[in-house]
Amino acid sequence: MKIVYALIACAVLSGCATNKGLYDWSGYSGLLYQSYKDPAKVAENMHKLEANILKAEQLGAKVAPGLYADLGTMLLQSGDRDKALINFQKERALWPESAVLMDAMIKNIQPVKQESKS
Amino acid sequence: MKKLLVLVAVLLTGCASQVQKTDLSAFQAAKPRSILIVPAVNKSLDVDAPDYLLTTLSVPLGEKGFYVFPVHTTKVVLQQEGFYEGEQVHQQPPEKLAKLFGADVVLYVTINRWDAQYAVFATTVTVNFDYRLVAKDGTEIWRANKQMAYTPQSQNTGHPLANLIVAAVQAAVARAKPDYMPLANMANYDVFVAGPTAIPNGPYLTVQ
Repeated sequence: MKIVYALIACAVLSGCATNKGLYDWSGYSGLLYQSYKDPAKVAENMHKLEANILKAEQLGAKVAPGLYADLGTMLLQSGDRDKALINFQKERALWPESAVLMDAMIKNIQPVKQESKS
Repeated sequence: MKKLLVLVAVLLTGCASQVQKTDLSAFQAAKPRSILIVPAVNKSLDVDAPDYLLTTLSVPLGEKGFYVFPVHTTKVVLQQEGFYEGEQVHQQPPEKLAKLFGADVVLYVTINRWDAQYAVFATTVTVNFDYRLVAKDGTEIWRANKQMAYTPQSQNTGHPLANLIVAAVQAAVARAKPDYMPLANMANYDVFVAGPTAIPNGPYLTVQ
């Protein structure tokens, strides 16, 4: 019985969280879980996350902390350095707390990028 | 909806007042803005548990008003530093980890249980976590333990033999493919937000 109450409370609360929460999470947790569960779907889930974030931006929603950074890392892992850089810069601009990490990620990309262009 | 919220709030505060509250003075003194979530130490037999758990922690802490570091990026960066297992990460000085990422506090989670115990007609799915928040100066500012368990309840078909078959099928399904994620989400929500160990709001939640 306790569990039933807990489940009801959880359903009510998570319902509230999606309606009235601080951020748009763009399906982040579920997509990351799917990618860890099935590595064959990493690219597919990355594209979904990218599309969801774009939709959130168009709606003027506040994109949750860490989303641009993790999308950036996924893009970097897939070999798309240019898009990764843009996402790291977005995270850096949106969240001052991310500065140390994002500066390191950006610095990690840029020297290689400049070499390949010269 | 508002009425429901009030009702839930009353229920939750009702629960909370019966249990001793956690001492939050160290947390409040540290005034953290950002939380670094590092990969968990795994004491369960399920090798996937740390990765799966990692995906459940950002939302409750972010919605609590903190900047949460990107968990996937953190994991990849730590691997580049040579730390592939949670044990290795947890053995590093917290000051070093906090400085490397520019974080105010580090969240350490140990997975004690992440298992499905099979009995003939019922399977109980259980998770148990130790949580610890350590400030960038190495001070532990908060800790909690949470266990959540779930046993699927079988429906009464009105026929004793049919009941047994339904129960056995449900137990087999839960054993073959137990879903830990709702339990992990509930455990996180309870320790950080709803339960007696709930942490203070972060800087991004003060507006409401």
